[in-house]
Amino acid sequence: MYRASQRPSRQSEALLLVFTSLIAILGYLMVAAAAQLRQGFDPLPALPAALLPPLLLSAGAFGLHIAMRTRRVEVEQIVLPVVSLLLAFGLVTIFRLRGAEGAWQQITRGLLPGLILASAFILRPQLVEFVRRWTLPISAIGLMLPIATAIFGVVDETGARLALKLGPLPAIQTSEMIKLSLVIFLAWFIDREGEQVEGRARIVLGRLRLPAVRYFIPGILFVSMATLALVQMSDFGAVLILGFLFAAMLYAGFETRLFTTIAGIGLILALLVALVLAFSWDIPTVIQHRFAAFLDPWSIAEIQVNGRPTGITIAEGPGYQIQQSIYAIVAGGLAGAGLGFGSPDYIPLAASDFIFAAILEELGAAVGIVILVLFIILLMRILRVALLLPRGQVFERLLLIGIGMHLFTQVFVMVGGTLNIMPLTGVTVPFLSQGGAALMINLLEIGIVLAVAQRLETRPI
Amino acid sequence: MDLLAWNTLLFALKWVLIGLIYFVLLLLLLALRREVSLQMGASRISVPVVPGRLKIINPGSDLNSRAGDILNLQPDTSFGTEVNNDIILKDKYISRYHARLQWDGANWWVEDLGSRNGTFINQIRCTPKTRQLLPIGSHLQAGDMIFELLD
Repeated sequence: MYRASQRPSRQSEALLLVFTSLIAILGYLMVAAAAQLRQGFDPLPALPAALLPPLLLSAGAFGLHIAMRTRRVEVEQIVLPVVSLLLAFGLVTIFRLRGAEGAWQQITRGLLPGLILASAFILRPQLVEFVRRWTLPISAIGLMLPIATAIFGVVDETGARLALKLGPLPAIQTSEMIKLSLVIFLAWFIDREGEQVEGRARIVLGRLRLPAVRYFIPGILFVSMATLALVQMSDFGAVLILGFLFAAMLYAGFETRLFTTIAGIGLILALLVALVLAFSWDIPTVIQHRFAAFLDPWSIAEIQVNGRPTGITIAEGPGYQIQQSIYAIVAGGLAGAGLGFGSPDYIPLAASDFIFAAILEELGAAVGIVILVLFIILLMRILRVALLLPRGQVFERLLLIGIGMHLFTQVFVMVGGTLNIMPLTGVTVPFLSQGGAALMINLLEIGIVLAVAQRLETRPI
Repeated sequence: MDLLAWNTLLFALKWVLIGLIYFVLLLLLLALRREVSLQMGASRISVPVVPGRLKIINPGSDLNSRAGDILNLQPDTSFGTEVNNDIILKDKYISRYHARLQWDGANWWVEDLGSRNGTFINQIRCTPKTRQLLPIGSHLQAGDMIFELLD
């Protein structure tokens, strides 16, 4: 009755979106002007052409805003501005590093499909129910992806096999899809099994009482996915993120006693596989070198491949990108060199893995801190929706917790790698990094969050 | 405009951009604060159907409750961990069908349904399967959870 007397308005969201659009447009124009200036041309004629991409971005953000408006809900006005501000930072930086072509690719392959998927979820929130009902086929497809990638995948310049290329279509990175399908599967599994704590069948081995066989499924699933990722794709980042997600979702879903058992089983399985791998198979040299480079990026120790010296030191090889990242961050200082006035091109993979370092160089630590705060606000808002859901909606709650943890751990791992406070692993920074498929999945996740958030409105207060 | 002037303009714009970003962050935090206070206001405005509400003082190990939450009571309200109770409380030490609260038109009564760890009114244990008076403002304890009865 409190709500019904007022017409739902989303004023603060609209206001914030106006300002995030302003930031996108201003940033884009500054990059375009600086690019012309570097070549000694007059910047003015190039500016009108640089208006279209940020305007598209703002139009997309306002599209989602209008979609929420048509649902007549007032709830959750923070997520959308936060996401659109992050998207603005990402797009401006990709334009700076990869030029108009790279930014355009990001828009057509990631932003537009992602916005369409997100608005579909916002306008038809019952799609979440559809996902719940069809979890098994969806996650089966999701789990096929790493296998398909392992077989048909394209090896990129870092030696990791992450992208799937089918026919004439552009190669797509599958790792985000795999993570989202793990989240969906675990949410479904825990929703189905988690409540039936009393009176379930157990295996009894003497005094050791284990849960029924089906409680091993998540552990086995995770271990096999992780092994596949590690062995076939040399993708250590995926293993780390999957591990985080697995532990976080089991912890959120099961009561403590059951969590300890199930996570313990998963841990023991993982240790067994690790032992087998350690004896039967060389740890990929990529991972060894990354760890050595983390300990000392400037080390002059020679790296070895399969026991043979290569004549390349760590400082020249795997440490190089970390050095460049650190140099870039230091060069940026507090306020940055100014958009277009730094030299982030020295950082390898500046637009995808190291985009945080590129942002820090040109916009400074001041904006870097804002980005981290934005991610924290995003995580808090997602978890808030998850916790306020009515009792009984376990699937939706766990789905949201998984999505929030997915976004946040990616940021954590990648920012940690960029600042060299943890070993570098190649994952994307959500909403910022170049990579169409990843951005699409991240926007889809935001669509799911906003679809589920609408349920809070109809809850009797 | 010559190129040097452009250079100066872009360096000035850098500070404008940073200022704008921080302004948006400020707006975001204000919106965040407003939304939080709106939500708290809403729970204060809510009108109970019958003259009885339980305020959670200590949520125990029930993850769905927070201290300060208000539970609205119906004239006959049962609680416990099982799903077909009127109020489901998942505290570790609450039984499946723990107790029920009844309104007789003037007073609230508590009946312990034979719970394992008992129900306490102002820290005095209730006799199982017997109706006992629950005065307004008194503390009701079940498991680790403590409630205060509000009128």
